[in-house]
Amino acid sequence: MLQKPRAHGRPCAQAERECGDPGEEAPSTSRGATGSSQGSRASLAAPAIGQRTQKQLDLKVAELVQFLLIKDQKKIPIKRTDILKHVVVDYRDVYSTLLKLAAERLQYVFGYKLVELEPKSNTYILINSLEPVEEDAEVRGDQGTPTTGLLMIILGLIFMKGNTITETEVWDFLRRLGVYPTKKHLIFGDPKKLITEDFVRQRYLEYRKIPHTDPVDYELQWGPRTHLETSKMKVLKFVAKVHNQDPKDWPTQYCEALADEENRARPASSGPASSS
Amino acid sequence: ATSGVFSAVGAPSNMQGSSSGRAGVMTDVHRRFLQLLMTHGVLEEWEVRRLQNHCYKVHDCNATVDKLEDFINNINSVLESLYIEIKKGITEDDGRPIYALVNLATTSVSKMATDFAESELDLFRKALELIIDSETGFASSTNILNLVDQLKGKKMRKKEAEQVLQKFVQSKWLIEKEGEFTLHGRAILEMEQFIRETYPDTVKICNICHSLLIQGQSCETCGIRMHLPCVAKYFQSASEPRCPHCNDYWPHEIPEVFNPEKEREAGGSKSSRKSLRTRQH
Repeated sequence: MLQKPRAHGRPCAQAERECGDPGEEAPSTSRGATGSSQGSRASLAAPAIGQRTQKQLDLKVAELVQFLLIKDQKKIPIKRTDILKHVVVDYRDVYSTLLKLAAERLQYVFGYKLVELEPKSNTYILINSLEPVEEDAEVRGDQGTPTTGLLMIILGLIFMKGNTITETEVWDFLRRLGVYPTKKHLIFGDPKKLITEDFVRQRYLEYRKIPHTDPVDYELQWGPRTHLETSKMKVLKFVAKVHNQDPKDWPTQYCEALADEENRARPASSGPASSS
Repeated sequence: ATSGVFSAVGAPSNMQGSSSGRAGVMTDVHRRFLQLLMTHGVLEEWEVRRLQNHCYKVHDCNATVDKLEDFINNINSVLESLYIEIKKGITEDDGRPIYALVNLATTSVSKMATDFAESELDLFRKALELIIDSETGFASSTNILNLVDQLKGKKMRKKEAEQVLQKFVQSKWLIEKEGEFTLHGRAILEMEQFIRETYPDTVKICNICHSLLIQGQSCETCGIRMHLPCVAKYFQSASEPRCPHCNDYWPHEIPEVFNPEKEREAGGSKSSRKSLRTRQH
């Protein structure tokens, strides 16, 4: 039988906040320096740099993996500063190693790729290495997100209109589907907030004011997460399906999508696929 | 091999230390299973089997589906290095097997911590304490709501607290029965260690399986307690049920043993769960 970490183990920083005094034997990996003695609890006290046990490192990586999974579940891009503050704490010196190990585990165990949102942004998201399948929806526990439908429509709209669209055009289109900026929607709730705030915060969309417009108008484009999670070809196929047509029926967009596919297929130099 | 910012090697890295023996091998079947499992807080056994079959179908149509236990053990051996595991438990009211992905290294309510605000978590903690202290394993809505003023964090009114309690029921942390609340199997799976450590004096333990007991039956003479499914199993073929500890007559009705075979025949739907004779072989 293997040796599980003893029940007192509480490496999660949140846990400490909630439970108050954790008791004597808490192999927490992140303690404020407590003038550690290198005595019998050497492996458990706040370690000097480089004197951490393998187990402590393993626990740290485990914490980091969980942290990344939870944050990504909410579609919040994960900032390096958050990682340092909430998980890595006093293991800053090995931050890169921890992140690398966490990324490895995420890929091997869960099939998620840890990817930087934009080169050098130090902000990360998880991309699914597995291709989602329609039947997944039947066995999921979280009903997916009903808002995904609306997002797909907007992404399709943006692409088909040449990769940028004004907010006015968006509402003109959505009105025809019974979706209004000022009216609560049965499925989408507050569509205006969804489109101009939530999707933007999740980095699916970019939302920018168009200067010198009166009344003021905004432009919408694909955000970095969209470029990473899907592709022009996939979106074009979606649009084609909705219209019960073939992607080739839109030659301009089809060519653009093909070029994008070629771009993606080229071996990645270092960073993630860049926007066209 | 994968590409991405961190070029990861396909095989597991040398996460030694905690591993005793070979860790299992993950394939896309296992990964999809894990991904979809994580979208649930807790699953019943038939849902887990359905999920397993789905994943096989998507990736590897022709392979024989592993026995569920082996399948899960394989995944758990890989999850070990991450201090999480797919844990199997039994519902306290009717002995149905359930599964949840639980944290091994931390013993607090941390999984809830990401979904609820500070005051909501504190409300749960208060409800938890009342449940553990109670004789029946249930805490009344009234008693819980009366503690609303003592909560940490943002001030909560009773009306809001009622809604928060419903949130707990919906996300399967609590069960509600006739205005009273007890712990869902999910909460027991996730928090057993934490509860046993935090409330060592008031916590109740089952005399048969020695696990945490919230709901159960107790001997009126000597006070020992047993889970309903444990009672069912222990007294299965007993003509005269007697307390295993003091030998006095067991004063309660003996419940039926959960029979997974019948469950599966019925297609795993709840409505078909009929009352079964326990005297079967």
